[in-house]
Amino acid sequence: MSDTEYFIKHLPNDLGGTTCNDKITITERALYPWEKRCHALLDVLDYHKIVNTEEKRRATENIGPDLAGKLSYYEKWIIAASNCLLQKGILHPDEIARKTKEVGERYQVVA
Amino acid sequence: MQQVVSHNPAKYSVGDAVKVSERFPIGHYRVPMYMRGKLVTITKILGRYVNPEEEGFGKNAGNKLWCYLVSIPQDALWPSYTGKKNDRLEIEVFEPWLENIKTL
Amino acid sequence: MSKKHHHPHDAHAAITHDEKPGFYEILEISIRELLVEKGLLGPAEIREQIEVLDSRSPALGSMLVARAWLDPAFKQRLLDNGVAAAKEMGIDMYDDTDFSVVENTETVHHVIVCTLCSCYPRPVLGLPPDWYKSKEYRSRTVKEPRAVLEEFGTIIPAHVDIVVKDSTANLRYMVLPLRPAGTENYTESQLAALVTRDAMIGVKVLRA
Repeated sequence: MSDTEYFIKHLPNDLGGTTCNDKITITERALYPWEKRCHALLDVLDYHKIVNTEEKRRATENIGPDLAGKLSYYEKWIIAASNCLLQKGILHPDEIARKTKEVGERYQVVA
Repeated sequence: MQQVVSHNPAKYSVGDAVKVSERFPIGHYRVPMYMRGKLVTITKILGRYVNPEEEGFGKNAGNKLWCYLVSIPQDALWPSYTGKKNDRLEIEVFEPWLENIKTL
Repeated sequence: MSKKHHHPHDAHAAITHDEKPGFYEILEISIRELLVEKGLLGPAEIREQIEVLDSRSPALGSMLVARAWLDPAFKQRLLDNGVAAAKEMGIDMYDDTDFSVVENTETVHHVIVCTLCSCYPRPVLGLPPDWYKSKEYRSRTVKEPRAVLEEFGTIIPAHVDIVVKDSTANLRYMVLPLRPAGTENYTESQLAALVTRDAMIGVKVLRA
């Protein structure tokens, strides 16, 4: 099986039994407020079937093997949600660009 | 929402030995790679659930399929398994992913 | 909790938090506000869902376990139909998932994992810990459960079978742990106080 074929067939989230020998890092922490808001957002999007849970999973997988191990859990979720909303035409690229600029300025962050 | 109702009875029964299909769909799937092509035993008929492989593309409560709980010994999954003999794994698998061994 | 100002570049790095929102938080705020402006989400819906999430914690699971230990008829109902038994105790499955309780015995020990994502019985245990969602736990638990359990300080004797439950979407599993010896005279609330989240995931066993 070629490398590319492997990555098409084997989704990056499908981890069971993969070659990982690292010890489990057992720590506890509270979610950051934005992470909890992100969780709630995806729950509500599922309730309304705007983006259902399974679509969110699929879109998270589509982030690809390179980024799958690099983004944090909720970073993946918000990218997945954004992609689904764009794909469905519910949000438009211009709107997101305008809004992220506005929000960045509100918090005095260079976006 | 139009509900697609199928009254087909469950194809398999508790205790049946079946094979998990060895296939590689493009896109979203809910059968981990480590289960592909494995021989398993049906331990429970769970009922009918929305097919996640369609749901992943936004069908929203589309087709419901029979879903089973299946069991496999750990040493059948992992040839190098070092645990105990009766250790096993249970997982849910949808009917289209299961094959009758007798017809193979 | 770390508050260092660096961005996680790999899954092993601690998730950190700046005072000012970063790229992903700005995106979260933006998406949410756009959806509210379009009238697709009510302005209070996210806050209300956060309240639902905050109302769920392992205390609910512990309550189910303590009741099951004391009331054999309830235990049977819990094992037969988790959703209905939880509802009896005032717990609804807000995410519309099915809920299945598996019983640990003197000869069988269950441990729960989700290798494909992070399926977890959130309505009864709250949101899962980071390690449950980690690459290490998800890849290794199905393959070497005894080694994984040892990392949690749990040694399962040779005469006890381990059953790994790989949760793949429809069913959310919770372990009904073995009631520890020496708790015969405990009240229901004393029993509930003994039950930990990790025991209900199956990575720990309980002691009085």
